[in-house]
Amino acid sequence: MAQVAVVQIPGVNCEYETTRALQAVGLGARIVRWNEPASVWSEFDGYVIPGGFAFQDRIRAGAIAAKLPAVDRIAAEAESGKPVLGICNGAQVLVEAGLVPGFKHGRVEMALAPNRAPRRAGYLCRWAWLRVSPGPGSVWYADSIRPGEVIPMPIAHGEGRFLTADPGVRERIQIEGLALYRYVAASGGRADRYPFDPNGSMLEAAGITNRSGNILAFMPHPERATWLRQVPLELKNVWGEKRRAAVGRWDALEGPGPGRILFESLARKLGLRAAQEARS
Amino acid sequence: MSATLLIRLKITDLAAWTALETGRRLLKPGINLERVAREQLLIFEPEQGVRADSFEGILGEAVRHSNFFVNPNKESYRFLSAAERGESWTPPEGAWGILTRPREDTRDERLRESLLREHPMPGLQAIRRGKVWWLWSRGPDGGAAVSDAYSALGDLRDPKHGLLVNPHAEAAMILTGALPWSLVERFLTDPAPAYRAAA
Repeated sequence: MAQVAVVQIPGVNCEYETTRALQAVGLGARIVRWNEPASVWSEFDGYVIPGGFAFQDRIRAGAIAAKLPAVDRIAAEAESGKPVLGICNGAQVLVEAGLVPGFKHGRVEMALAPNRAPRRAGYLCRWAWLRVSPGPGSVWYADSIRPGEVIPMPIAHGEGRFLTADPGVRERIQIEGLALYRYVAASGGRADRYPFDPNGSMLEAAGITNRSGNILAFMPHPERATWLRQVPLELKNVWGEKRRAAVGRWDALEGPGPGRILFESLARKLGLRAAQEARS
Repeated sequence: MSATLLIRLKITDLAAWTALETGRRLLKPGINLERVAREQLLIFEPEQGVRADSFEGILGEAVRHSNFFVNPNKESYRFLSAAERGESWTPPEGAWGILTRPREDTRDERLRESLLREHPMPGLQAIRRGKVWWLWSRGPDGGAAVSDAYSALGDLRDPKHGLLVNPHAEAAMILTGALPWSLVERFLTDPAPAYRAAA
């Protein structure tokens, strides 16, 4: 069974539910503290930096955590092809560490800036609609999502706006298909206004990968949508219908929610990778 | 000429403390970082053809007697009318500064609207926001080693270089010595300079 480290940095607060979400798809997952010895990190097949407020978001969200030796070690492991998923604050850490999009090795090429929507500012907590734009990250984090499928996912952030001041970086992200997950309207059309575009992110990006696809900086919280019981009753689309149909049926409520798709994809790819390694 | 409000925490500023601790690890040997402080800067821009003193009285009252800008339990402030602030902005003794602003529009329209709802005043065009980090650094020669210190603590380039400014979201200006307020205002008013990747 592939083993995934859920990195507990002081101030993160989603490590337990993230661990449970990974275990729900058959992965071995355990919480690993940020100050474990350097040798510990190589024991794992993949890494998740969960959401929260690492170091209280001091200076900027993710700015201090990005400089931890543990993140350095994880970056080194990722170079061998191991996956790294940063969820929300974890995504901010990956961006501040220069791990996505990674056109120039180690260089910080983006920011996750404060949300920007007309007449709205600050922290935003709601459900958003996502669609996959196929790219190198598809095999890792979106392998079973059908073209055009609209996936609801909760977001909760104050600084979720992917942004680069370098037009060349933006262009390459688009051309190379690195904006794997994008916000869309509930209908699946372009997220051209709030609330479908919740934060003004460039390319309506909710999640951006590196060029190899194994590192994903993902702002929504899939671990908060791993079970059907986590889906709000009033949600529109097929997931809301499933949720309403499950009222009073505990077994159905314990069924998969929309966020599990991402973890299942990760589990399948890790399984394939392990099989390939065993053969070679 | 605009009125100016500078706000800083009077309780322990954990962000500044963390900047100090982290910054010390990023500096080259021989350069010491002795202290870091952080202030919010708000500039109150008058409408064209309106003198700042037409609203400064009401604004000053709002600053002093309401909790609109300042929480007196944890923050201290300096409110300087256009006449009081003088021609230039001088860093605290022994310090130099990094003034930052968002790359986008620096106007805080929501703040202006809610201020005017509570404290109607004529002629206030915009409230612009910046943030300044004051640094007390010392190089081997006893000078502030501003260039080396900025290289280590200013624009973020990779995890080992840069800290206080992510240049993809923010623009920065170094404050050494007395700086004309007109330059500060221009820095906050003009579009941010184009991004240039550091070599």
